[in-house]
Amino acid sequence: MRLPKTIKGVALGGALLQLVLAIVLYLNFDGTAAANGQQGYQFVNKLDWISFSLGNLGRFQIEYFVGVDGISISMVLLTAIVGVIGVISSWTIKKNIKGYFLLYLLLLTSVMGCFLALDFFLFYLFFEFMLLPMYFLIGIWGGPKREYAAIKFFIYTLVGSLFILIVMIGLYTSVIDPLATAAQLGMLQTSGINPDTILQVQQALQQNAISGADIVRTFSIPAMMDPANFIPGSLLHVLSGTVLWDLPVRFIAFLLLFAGFAIKVPTVPVHTWLPDAHVEAPTPISVLLAAILLKVGGYGLIRIVYPIFPDAGAYFAVLVGGLGVLSIIYGALCALAMNDLKKLIAYSSVSHMGFVLLGLASLTSEGVNGAIYMMFSHGIISAMLFLVVGVIYDRAHDRMILNFRGLAKRMPAYTTFVVIAFFASLGLPGFSGFIAELLVLVGGFSAPDITGLLPRWLTIVAVIGLLLAAAYYLWALQRMFFGKYWIFPELRAKAVMSDLNAREYLMLVPLAVLALLFGIFPHLLLNKIGMATQGFTEFVLRNGQEQLQMVLSTIVK
Amino acid sequence: MKEQTAYLSQSIDAILAGAGSLLPEFLLAGFFLLLVTIDLFRSRTIKQLLPWLALTGLFSALILQFLGGYTSGGVQFLNLLRSDGLARFSGILFSAAGIFTVLLSLQSKVLEKLKESRGEYYALILMLVLGLNLMAKSINLLMVFLAIELVSIASYILTLTLKQEKRAVEAGLKYVLYGTLSAGVMLYGMSFFYGFTGSLNYTEGTFWQALLQADVLLVTIAAILVFAGFFFKISAAPFHFWVPDVYQGAPMPIVALFSTGPKMAGIIVILRFVAAFSDPVVAAYFDDVLLFLGIAALATLVVGNFTALWQKTPRRLMAYSSVSHAGFLLMALMAFGTNYTTGVLFYLSVLLFMNYGMFLFLQISEENFGVQKLEHFTGLGHKLPYLGVMALLYLLSLTGLPPLAGFTGKLLVFTNVWEAYSAFGKPMLLTLLVAGVLLTGVALFYYIRIPYYLFLKRNLTEEKLVISLSDKLLLAFFAVPLLVLFFKPDLLLHWIERLLAQTL
Repeated sequence: MRLPKTIKGVALGGALLQLVLAIVLYLNFDGTAAANGQQGYQFVNKLDWISFSLGNLGRFQIEYFVGVDGISISMVLLTAIVGVIGVISSWTIKKNIKGYFLLYLLLLTSVMGCFLALDFFLFYLFFEFMLLPMYFLIGIWGGPKREYAAIKFFIYTLVGSLFILIVMIGLYTSVIDPLATAAQLGMLQTSGINPDTILQVQQALQQNAISGADIVRTFSIPAMMDPANFIPGSLLHVLSGTVLWDLPVRFIAFLLLFAGFAIKVPTVPVHTWLPDAHVEAPTPISVLLAAILLKVGGYGLIRIVYPIFPDAGAYFAVLVGGLGVLSIIYGALCALAMNDLKKLIAYSSVSHMGFVLLGLASLTSEGVNGAIYMMFSHGIISAMLFLVVGVIYDRAHDRMILNFRGLAKRMPAYTTFVVIAFFASLGLPGFSGFIAELLVLVGGFSAPDITGLLPRWLTIVAVIGLLLAAAYYLWALQRMFFGKYWIFPELRAKAVMSDLNAREYLMLVPLAVLALLFGIFPHLLLNKIGMATQGFTEFVLRNGQEQLQMVLSTIVK
Repeated sequence: MKEQTAYLSQSIDAILAGAGSLLPEFLLAGFFLLLVTIDLFRSRTIKQLLPWLALTGLFSALILQFLGGYTSGGVQFLNLLRSDGLARFSGILFSAAGIFTVLLSLQSKVLEKLKESRGEYYALILMLVLGLNLMAKSINLLMVFLAIELVSIASYILTLTLKQEKRAVEAGLKYVLYGTLSAGVMLYGMSFFYGFTGSLNYTEGTFWQALLQADVLLVTIAAILVFAGFFFKISAAPFHFWVPDVYQGAPMPIVALFSTGPKMAGIIVILRFVAAFSDPVVAAYFDDVLLFLGIAALATLVVGNFTALWQKTPRRLMAYSSVSHAGFLLMALMAFGTNYTTGVLFYLSVLLFMNYGMFLFLQISEENFGVQKLEHFTGLGHKLPYLGVMALLYLLSLTGLPPLAGFTGKLLVFTNVWEAYSAFGKPMLLTLLVAGVLLTGVALFYYIRIPYYLFLKRNLTEEKLVISLSDKLLLAFFAVPLLVLFFKPDLLLHWIERLLAQTL
């Protein structure tokens, strides 16, 4: 391989540049501006990409439409941080460096694109494009069963994204862009752009007063959130009254989208690809997978599924929350039973991502804040956890819990970081995980009173998950790190049990600092996301109740 | 006697009046005759010129149709052939397919070594393209039959180009048997239609009005019989049995041609045939025919995608992939009431590039590196990253993943079907849509096996592998449109729209 140093340097430079830009963006982001998911995006960039006339069926347009609000800004920052850590962690990759870093940067690009896109087509493009680099990164640089894990990952997520594709097609055939339609109707020349124009267009649309040829369909996600933008008579219109398998079509669409993103989250019945992918993936890719790729699922639920189908979100709150709680408990129980440290952490990821679903389903301000906080904090902490596993695997080429004992004696610094990571993850006060879990649980407990969406016992069951988390982490800690130093005899020949080196400090110290920082000063993040989540919950709740009435009223007839 | 003369001169006038619209076909026929004649000379230099001559002919046909303007003053050719925008665009695709076939043949070592019948080979490609053009232009059932037969006969002989190979002979025989059978069945069905209506001009309103008077059951049977012939050409189930054998036995450029040319022409013929169904009255009457079409589309999708899963050789895999694409196209044609022609033509154009790219890749790996089975791809992507990445692009486009044009094509098809469903609420359309989308997931499963062997498996041999510059350029030539048409599909879509607006 020619110039391995240069290739690594370029990759690191790219990731660092992204980090700097993300920090600048984060600092310049105005957290006090009102936003509700439909409006209030900042740093918006909108360019015409594909626009095409369908004759008397109107036009369709796809835009390069990006922007951030309080929800996405946290994910953008997280992606940039983990991106840099991942490059440092990839420093030991030996095989085909050029291909590796090429795919790595492509992956980072598409994840970032997902968090920024506000056009559904653009989002879908990035969402699908994540799969390919990931497939090769696991499949070429992975462990012994890498081919199986890679294909399983690919097929699972592809099926999920195909569900999303169906709904995306349905949405864009139903939704118009009011502003572009006004332009098509020639209303902009006479009066210029003002809020009334949009209202006029929406009213005319609902009265069927716009001829088919003048309708401009759009993939814009904010436009999809307004029920007034749906073409009357289209299947996904609130009043369409179409029933499929005894459910309104809108509910079916919600379930399909939810299934698509739930695979990515992953939620319990569809989580089985995750442990396989994690176990086989090389350490940096595990880090990326747990820390940012899973977040795309949760982010999709918040950005797309709930605001576009708030009626179904209110209707299926118990389902979503219940699956969340199921993931928390089942993931934790599986983690308890694992002998492979990496599998244990993979299942703990499943368990923690369950909190995201629970917080979101509660639709309280605390709950949604908690869900976003959980995604951010889990991103930081799981990156640390997988790095920690990587350290022991690099040294002993093995990571079975029972093959090690008393590592604290040999590797004190390493043990310190393991303890920090484990305690941060199990939600010790002072770490970011605590804030996230606290917010979610507060949201869950207040949900029956404020929104009436979730029964109280669900949240009570979720609390058991915290106990289980403490159990599997502490038990693993006790078995591997305490007691007299011993490692499995067959490993001794190859194992070099040295303590952390400078590169590993470089990755672990910033993450530990961040976990502490966001645990002690939660307002650093909450100040930026607070307004947006507040607006989001109000928006979804209000629209949800109104639209649910309308949807159900058409069904009864 | 005098009446006859008058009639004769009238006919001649009519032929001459409409002949101008057939300029590309005359051009192709002329070059065909030229090739056959020149092939008689024994000189080696002249023989070397044959492919280039064929290329010139196809190129001039392409440019002619690209520029247009040969409409013979709006006169149709004897109510037999209509040169509208649809025919013009498909003619461009066919000429392009012919050019790509010749280019692939020039790269092929097997065909380079071919001593006998080289002129014949290139001449028959021209003949096949001519037949495809006629298929796309036909508005008369008998003309359709003639055009399909012209294509078929050329195809039979081209399949047998490598006569010394046993597989080729077997494939050719199977092809001829299936082909003649389906042609006979189709002709039988057409005769029914003629009996019912007294007319063969199936694009005219009166033809369908007359059918509405006839017995439903008989019309349905006749329609199914006719579709048998069409399905044979587009390799849709249950008339796809010839496909894997022919794909296994024929030379690679010819396989590429079969996977695109006749399929496109067949789709255009069906498109013209079912255009009448966009009238709800007619469609309601032909409910059973529509059901048959829907089931055939579904069966084609299922058979194509699931059978492909078990294939062990790349050629057979591509055969079933081609069947599954026929399913997607049939599905697209079911979206009556929407403006689906543009979407279908877009899909066909994308199919052209990805199939030729894929078959060029297979030809390179078969002839240079002896790849016969999927396992033989092992590690090739590491040795030749350029070849591997190109193959990956084609395969992802075939699967229909962004950012490649295959995705846009499928998106357009699914959109049309969804719109038709929301307009008319036929459960068949929803079934097709869901099946089509989910089978895309199945499709990934078999397409990904090639990159799986290319990149994920390692080959420890140390030989140096190279591919020629011309191969590299051609690979890029087929791949670039796939990317461009994803990011800017409106370039092609606008052009198609403009062409379609041109009636005769």
